[in-house]
Amino acid sequence: MAFYKELAKGLWKENPIFRLVLGMCPALAVTTSVENSLGMGMAATFVLICSNIVISIFRNLIPAKVRIPCFIVVIATFVTIVDLLMNGFAHELHNSLGLFIPLIVVNCIILGRAEAFASRHPLWLSIADGIGMGIGFTLGLTVLGATREILGAGSITVWGDLKWTVAGYEPMILMILAPGGFIALGCLLGGMNHLQAIAAKRKGTIFTPPAHLDCRSCVMCKFGK
Amino acid sequence: MMESLRLVVVLTIICSVAGALLAVVHDVTADPIASAGTKEKGDAIMQVLPPCDNNPGEDLVKVDADGTAWTFYVARKEGRFAGAAFESVSAQGYGGDIAIMVGVNAEGTVQGVQVLAHKETPGLGAWISGDKFRGQFAGRSIADTKWAVTKDGGNIDQITAATISSRAVTEAVKAGLDIFTANTSAITGN
Repeated sequence: MAFYKELAKGLWKENPIFRLVLGMCPALAVTTSVENSLGMGMAATFVLICSNIVISIFRNLIPAKVRIPCFIVVIATFVTIVDLLMNGFAHELHNSLGLFIPLIVVNCIILGRAEAFASRHPLWLSIADGIGMGIGFTLGLTVLGATREILGAGSITVWGDLKWTVAGYEPMILMILAPGGFIALGCLLGGMNHLQAIAAKRKGTIFTPPAHLDCRSCVMCKFGK
Repeated sequence: MMESLRLVVVLTIICSVAGALLAVVHDVTADPIASAGTKEKGDAIMQVLPPCDNNPGEDLVKVDADGTAWTFYVARKEGRFAGAAFESVSAQGYGGDIAIMVGVNAEGTVQGVQVLAHKETPGLGAWISGDKFRGQFAGRSIADTKWAVTKDGGNIDQITAATISSRAVTEAVKAGLDIFTANTSAITGN
C-alpha cells in the first residue's frame, strides 16, 4: 500500500510542477511544444528513477556533510550515461531529445527527491517515489506544453504524424517565447489552486497547501520557527 | 581531522567509481556514435542529391577558397555529372553553429537542403529543420534567386520570430553556392 501511496502522490497532491514548483528552469525552457515536453519528461523520469535507486542504496554510507556533492556526481554520471547510450544506440531519438539531456543535470527535482526522499527512505519506496514524481513531472510538462503550443502555434504536432490544428486561430507567438512560459505557468497554477479550493469547499473544509511543502515547516531560515 | 579525512576518502571513492563507469560507457559507445554520425551524413548527402549510380560519399572534389577547404560530393549518372552536395556551416545561429548539407543538380538549381546539426531554440529556431522552411530552397535557380531572407530583401521566407536562425541557414546556403558557382568547371569536370 505504501508503494502506491508514494507513487500516486507525485501525480496530483505533490505534483513536481504545480505543487512543489520544482524544476522550473527546464519546465519553462522546453515546454514550447507537446513533443518537447514528453521527451524531456521521459528522459528526466529515467534519470530520476536511477538516481533514487543508487542514492537509496548508499544512503547510510554517504556522510551528511558531503551528501550534496555526492548526489550531484551520481546524477551527472547517469545523465552522461543516458546521453552516450542514446547517442550510440538510439540515434534518431537522440537527435530530437539531445538538446534537453544536459538540462536534466540542472533539474532540481532530481536533486530535490534525492535529498528529501531517497536519502531517507528504503529502496522500494524510493523507486515508487521516482516513478510517481517522473510521471507527474511529465504530465505537468505536457499540460504546460499543450497550452503553450495551442495558443502560440495554433496546432499540436507530435512526432510529425499526429497533428491537430485549431481552425481560424491567429497564433500568439508570445506564448512560445519565454514570457509565455511564465504566463501559462502562472495561470495553470492559479487554476489548480482554484479547483482545489472548490473541492475543499464542497467537503466543508478550507483549502490549504500541504504544510510540508512551503515555508511554514522549513527550518532553513528563521521564518520556519 | 579524522572526520575530514573520511569525507575526502568517501568523495574520492564516489568520484573514481563514477569516472570509471563513464570511461567504460564511453568506450562501449564510441564506435556506434561515430558510425551513426557517418551514416547520418551519408543519408543527408543522398537526400539532397538527384538519383545517381555512383557513390557520392567517395566521389570527392576538394576546393580551396580563401584558406577554407570545401568538399563537394559529386553524383554521377552513366558517368555524367548529375549533381553535387556540400556541407556548409554558419556561425551566425542563435544558439551556435548551424551545419547544413546542400545539394545542387546539373540544371543549376538547388536540389535540397538538410540540417545536420544546430542548437537553436526548441519550438522556434529549431523549425529550420522542418519541411516548411527547408522545402522552399528546393527547385530554386542558383543564379536567379536572391539568397537572403525577405526581411533583408531576398526570396527566402524567414520563420516568424526566428529571423536570426533563418538568416544563418540562408547565409550558409549562399556561401556554399558562391563557391560552387566560382568553381563549377572544376566540380562538374567539364
